[in-house]
Amino acid sequence: MKCDDCVNLLEAYVDGEVGEQQAESVRTHLMTCSACVSEFELLTAEAELYARYDREVQISPAVWNGITARIAAEPAAVETRERRDLRGWLAGLFAVPRLGFAFSGAMAVLLVMVAVGYLYTRTDQSPQRLVAASSERVKAGSATINKSDQTTLTPGSENVGNGPVQFVTVANRDKQKRPRAIPDDPGVLSADAAYTEIEDRDTASHLEQAQKLLVSFRTLQSDDDQEVDVTYERNESRRLLSENVVLRRDAEMAGKFPTKSVLGSLEPFLIDIANLPDKAPASDVRQIKDRVQRTEIVAELRGY
Amino acid sequence: MNSSADLVSRACRGDQEAFRLIFERYSRPVISFIYDQVSDRELAEELTQETFVRAYRSLKTLRSETKLSTWLFGIAKNVSRESLRARIRQNLHIDLDDEQVLDLSDRGPVPVSQLLNKELNEVVQRALALLDEDKRLVFTLKVFQQCSYEEIAEITGFSIPKLKTDLHRARTEMRQRVGQYVRA
Repeated sequence: MKCDDCVNLLEAYVDGEVGEQQAESVRTHLMTCSACVSEFELLTAEAELYARYDREVQISPAVWNGITARIAAEPAAVETRERRDLRGWLAGLFAVPRLGFAFSGAMAVLLVMVAVGYLYTRTDQSPQRLVAASSERVKAGSATINKSDQTTLTPGSENVGNGPVQFVTVANRDKQKRPRAIPDDPGVLSADAAYTEIEDRDTASHLEQAQKLLVSFRTLQSDDDQEVDVTYERNESRRLLSENVVLRRDAEMAGKFPTKSVLGSLEPFLIDIANLPDKAPASDVRQIKDRVQRTEIVAELRGY
Repeated sequence: MNSSADLVSRACRGDQEAFRLIFERYSRPVISFIYDQVSDRELAEELTQETFVRAYRSLKTLRSETKLSTWLFGIAKNVSRESLRARIRQNLHIDLDDEQVLDLSDRGPVPVSQLLNKELNEVVQRALALLDEDKRLVFTLKVFQQCSYEEIAEITGFSIPKLKTDLHRARTEMRQRVGQYVRA
């Protein structure tokens, strides 16, 4: 492969949008071309920077409250339209047509006010809140949506399925939020320690997820020559790849070389899986599975 | 049990709890995506609300082969665009200060690891806001929401070649604006 061809493919390669054959060609070229490696590293460094971008936007309770209020008003509007028709017919009989509109309008406003009042009392009844942190992955169809969440639940609402507004999302973060130093807190060193601890926890959690991914990948059926559906593994791998780049660089900056080494060993597998098509050829899957087996990467991750 | 298809089916039958779960699952990526388009937190909340209300109204039109996230991003894109158009009509342009961007850039190279989160967020946000609408759409869907080219094409209605070109140009422009902060 020539440099021009490689550079043209690099963005799609980093995005996991090239076929296995092209991905292999890019990988081979990168092993021998320092100029293209520089471009590749620039792209991954940019990916790292964008992965750190935190908009600090939150879903306030008002958003869901507003939605339920508007939704609640809609069936009422249908109902009042029907009622208006009936009243119009009656009004026609008794020659009081103007009352119909005023009555149905008043009913609609009343229903909205009742709904908003109800929602307000349900959300505001308990000042004490229990913050439950969860860091689960939610698989939505073939896509995975990161839900590293902090969800606030009102007491008595552990069963969030019982009411329309019994949860308040405080902050969902693509990445776990770093603790911020309290301005008047003299314990800077302890804050630094907490930061490191969270970073280690992030890495441990990341490696655990990667290990599960590789174990899952290893169990894929690829004995015959049929295509293998790797949509889930591919999406998961893409997400983990972004995290991996950030964590590896963090580990390097912090001088944690064993961590950096483990993350560095993991990265080629994530790149390979991320670059598979949704329906991957069985031979490509087998090739990666063999490498997983041969390099004992899963054992290395477990040992971390 | 709570797959997206199951939740949609239940929500279509009037199960509000199912719709609440859909909201809980997708509100974060949707508000992030909208915020990237409009650069205004309060407006992003309003538009997220509008997105989910519209989604609720038209749940029954969701085709089974369409991914829920793709469909929601499509609605969010329309809602954001309408809002941006309305703002342009009212001459309320996004409050961008190009001088500030230059000011940040003039500080010389700073490794990303040394950038304060707040500063980094400002740099990226300003750089994003300076992209034109199409490029910003494609860039945020690919880089921040990890959508595939096919999904982006479905959300935006762009052809694959167009979105690839837009994405490349967006990356180039972003590199010019945030490149000094990248530790290559």
